[in-house]
Amino acid sequence: MSVAAPAVPSAASARRDVWRRFRRNRLGMVGAVIVLLLIVMAVFAPQLAPSDPADQNLRARRTPPNAEFLLGADEFGRDILSRIIYGTRASLTVALASVALGLTLGSFLGALAGYLGGWVDGLVMRTMDLFLAFPYLLLAIIIVSALGPGILNTIVAIAVWTIPAFARVARSAVLQLKERDFVTAAISLGAKEARIMGVHLLPNFAATLVVYASLYLAYAILMESALSFLGLGVQPPTASWAGMIASGRNYVTSAPHIATIPGIAIAIAVLGFNLLGDGLRDALDPRSAKS
Amino acid sequence: MKTRMWTVLLCVAVLAAGAAFAQKTLTIVRPSDPVALDPHLETTAPGSWVYTQILEPLITVNQDMEIVGRLATSWEFVDPSRLRFTLRQGVTFHDGTPFNADAVKYTWDRAISSDPPGRWRSLASAVVGAEVVDEFTVDIVASQPFGPLELVAAMPYTAIVSPTAVEAVGSDAFTRAPVGTGPFKFVEWRANDRIVLEANDDYWRGRPALDQVIFRTVPEEGARMLSLRTGEADMVLLPTPSDLPALEADPNFIVEGAPGVGIFYLAFNLDRPNVADVRVRQAVAHAIDRELIVEAILEGGGVLAKSVIGEPVFGFKDMELLERYPYDPERARALLVEAGYTQGSDGFMRDAAGNVLTLQALPSNGRSLKDREIAETLQEFLRQAGIAVELDIFEWATTFQLMRGETLDYDLNSFTWFTTTADADYTMYSNYVSTEVPPASWNRWRYANPQVDEWLKAARASLDPAERAELYGLVQDQLAIDLPAIPLYGSFEVAVLSADVTGFVAHPIQYLLDLFPVDKR
Amino acid sequence: MLGGPRPPQPHSLTMFAYLIRRILITIPLALGVVLVVTVSFDLIPGDPAALILGEFATPQAIAELRTSLGLDRSLPVRYVTYVGDILRGDLGVSIRDRRPVTDILAETFPYTIQLALVAILLVLAVGIPLGLLAASRPGSWIDNLIRVTSLAGLSMPVFWTGIVFMVIFSVNLRWFPVSGTGTWRHLVLPAVTLALPSIAVVARMTRSTVLEVLREDFVRTARAKGVAERSLLYKHTLRNALIPVVTVMGLQLGQMLGGAVLTETVFAWPGVGRLTVFAIFNRDFVLMQGLVLVLAMVYVFVNLLVDLSYGVIDPRVRYQ
Repeated sequence: MSVAAPAVPSAASARRDVWRRFRRNRLGMVGAVIVLLLIVMAVFAPQLAPSDPADQNLRARRTPPNAEFLLGADEFGRDILSRIIYGTRASLTVALASVALGLTLGSFLGALAGYLGGWVDGLVMRTMDLFLAFPYLLLAIIIVSALGPGILNTIVAIAVWTIPAFARVARSAVLQLKERDFVTAAISLGAKEARIMGVHLLPNFAATLVVYASLYLAYAILMESALSFLGLGVQPPTASWAGMIASGRNYVTSAPHIATIPGIAIAIAVLGFNLLGDGLRDALDPRSAKS
Repeated sequence: MKTRMWTVLLCVAVLAAGAAFAQKTLTIVRPSDPVALDPHLETTAPGSWVYTQILEPLITVNQDMEIVGRLATSWEFVDPSRLRFTLRQGVTFHDGTPFNADAVKYTWDRAISSDPPGRWRSLASAVVGAEVVDEFTVDIVASQPFGPLELVAAMPYTAIVSPTAVEAVGSDAFTRAPVGTGPFKFVEWRANDRIVLEANDDYWRGRPALDQVIFRTVPEEGARMLSLRTGEADMVLLPTPSDLPALEADPNFIVEGAPGVGIFYLAFNLDRPNVADVRVRQAVAHAIDRELIVEAILEGGGVLAKSVIGEPVFGFKDMELLERYPYDPERARALLVEAGYTQGSDGFMRDAAGNVLTLQALPSNGRSLKDREIAETLQEFLRQAGIAVELDIFEWATTFQLMRGETLDYDLNSFTWFTTTADADYTMYSNYVSTEVPPASWNRWRYANPQVDEWLKAARASLDPAERAELYGLVQDQLAIDLPAIPLYGSFEVAVLSADVTGFVAHPIQYLLDLFPVDKR
Repeated sequence: MLGGPRPPQPHSLTMFAYLIRRILITIPLALGVVLVVTVSFDLIPGDPAALILGEFATPQAIAELRTSLGLDRSLPVRYVTYVGDILRGDLGVSIRDRRPVTDILAETFPYTIQLALVAILLVLAVGIPLGLLAASRPGSWIDNLIRVTSLAGLSMPVFWTGIVFMVIFSVNLRWFPVSGTGTWRHLVLPAVTLALPSIAVVARMTRSTVLEVLREDFVRTARAKGVAERSLLYKHTLRNALIPVVTVMGLQLGQMLGGAVLTETVFAWPGVGRLTVFAIFNRDFVLMQGLVLVLAMVYVFVNLLVDLSYGVIDPRVRYQ
């Protein structure tokens, strides 16, 4: 950097700093690796899975882990390992799609509320309050019943649940922007400064969103599992981890592997996203977390 | 001297406490709480399991499927629409009031003629009410000659209530604290938690051996089985079938079951083009290995269905489905080819336009044993035969609404029908007569065969059991050819008990639970 | 509420006026929530009368029952009648049970409150100290251990941990009963299962806010003021750090009071969460209306408690 460089660092070097900090955060890297592995499992499921996840072999039902079924077989004799691998697709698709949808809609609503202020702000925020005060389960069932069962409605149901959080982030970011005399600065200092402030502020906002997004990805997986457990999730024969726990829970004493293994899968996936989110937060805001 | 007195008192106190604790309590766990403890508001099994201990009908069906008298000592048809009962004398309700013909009339009037009527009124079908002849003689009257009248009167819903008690607390409150003549008296109901009953010392058959019965609500199947193992529960209703073999082998437990009157079907919707061709339906029958389903999924929780009605039901005839439609995926494909489909390179059968043969299915979910699992397996079996199946698994409220609609946008659905009166008319009339279509009645497969209609109507009007049985046999033979529904399994009413519990015999009718002869060590 | 914890503001209104304002705001919330329930039950398929009468009912019987239950009235009529009833304290009669909703709620809430209180006490007793411990030794092995285990704790689905606990502690060790209610023992496993994710969240929250606050005030001022002042400052910064933690705990408590469905299902705990599931599955919208109304009130009440507690924690806070 030359001596004449502006006091505000360029976006590119800020990104490099973030990356460097993230790399040093061991737990965050672990999270990133886990997430990467999950994505690989989801994309290359047909190549990785030893068998078709829908293939039933009733006579081999509930086999504990052995040479033929590496993680054992479920109550239909389907290979659990294959179902775990394919199940990544359902979990990741639902998580990513619902968070993406929620992030988009929520940020839009929140930004709108913050920017326009007044009654629009009041309306949007009161509606969010309504959402939070409303039993989520009822909301989920309404959505499932209205749209029909399957992966789409699960995505919508979870997206709807994530909207209030993203709305809040977007709204407060926009409010901060307003507060910072951004407009005055733009007028008095000239467009270039305004653009610099925008470049500086919006990445911050984006950073918070990214952190929230990764944490909500973790929540989304848990939410999807809760809905599947209650029978409101993806339909058979699509493999879903929580669906496996739900159907396996009656066999906890005779064949515990059916319910236990998918639970571990969920825990690892959620942990991965949480670690990633934590790592990102620490990297993007060096003041927080440990030394 | 004083010390001795205190010692004696202490001993007495301990003995008394001991005696109190030696109270024989049977703890039963089952998945759901009843809606009410009175058939007036409650027609499902969770309710009847409890109220059949408290309330008794005039006659009932015993475990051997014979009709025996309870509050009636004898009965006979005085004409084809009127059944006369001679009542047992010297019986009192739990509140001390006497049991007599007025109580019987009161009960039936309340159920059939009051506003709103009892929730089981439509099950009484042609019955219009009860008439008092004298203090211990009463007639149950139908609007027309009605062969099944005896079995209707044997339904647990017709149990006699104490008129004094109903009048005293009001009908609604009575349904939460019933007073009857049964072996056990109502004590307490903590909603969604437990119902407590205690022995009726003045019961007309003698005091039951148990002092107390507690029904506990435990929705989680796994938790129910665990309660049995830890001793928290003495008896589990609706146990996990896969646990049964191990429990049978274990001397600490008793598995007690009887083949029931329910049949779980895979039903077609004959209005839909995909399954209108009988060859497609027969192909589906060949594509399914029913024996494997019963063995591997039900694992002793159900028996292979031999007909559209259960074996204990009057009028049952073996439809020989295994012989007519053995498991043969190749034959299934051949039938589909005959019906105009061709096999694609991916294994799926395609119609002339090139569309994969896809059946829309609306399976029952969580209502019948393993219904959801069976739906998944059927999907897989049909896939092996080249038929794609799309499952729409909803919760029961939605499924039920859809099933009862005037049109059903599904090719397949699944359901259990319990022939609660143990008489074929109860199921077959409403299921197979062509005019009995939803939403008014239960011919969900929209089956229409005029000959079958004639046979069923004749069987309903006739009072001759031999004639009726023959007619029902003809119907079942025809159904085996037309195949509007494929019976998959028959219910098996099973309970698991701790070995300390003796005297329990399972009842084929799933609503009935006979706890009077039960004892506990 | 949604704006997050408000930073302490200089005084303007008295506490009383503040309370009144907050209570008034809840009225439109209540009406809104009930409206959503009433509308949604029209949207979802399923007829409570048909469900009650069961598989064997004639359409006539169903129509009769619907009329007698008032189900055939139009939406606006039902809504307005219901609101009128609420104002008179009448939450209606459950469609399925034919009992006053107030009775049903009065029976069910004590179980939920029991469970939630014990769970939140666990969170308080375990979560906050763990967070403090981690914050006091940042970067150490114990800090890392607490961070990872709390992440693990909130990564596991509640129904899974419940089942696992049940198998280990009830079946294999026989320390606690499998399910149901009755003694304090019945409360342990459900409360621990319910509390576990919250403990993790609170521990992490405590750790991060304490670290943040310590870094800012403590380092600067401690150097200037010297050792004797340190403990005073420590207490002061802790109060500030606790504000976001209290917010989070309030959120957790609110969730426990309304949404412990999964725990209650696994352990057969007859609380409000399970009741919600039954009401929905039975399409008992009268019960659902009452439930939703009370739950919304609970949510508001908990939020109010949280906001009021800021004043207790940090007396500089005034109510705006």
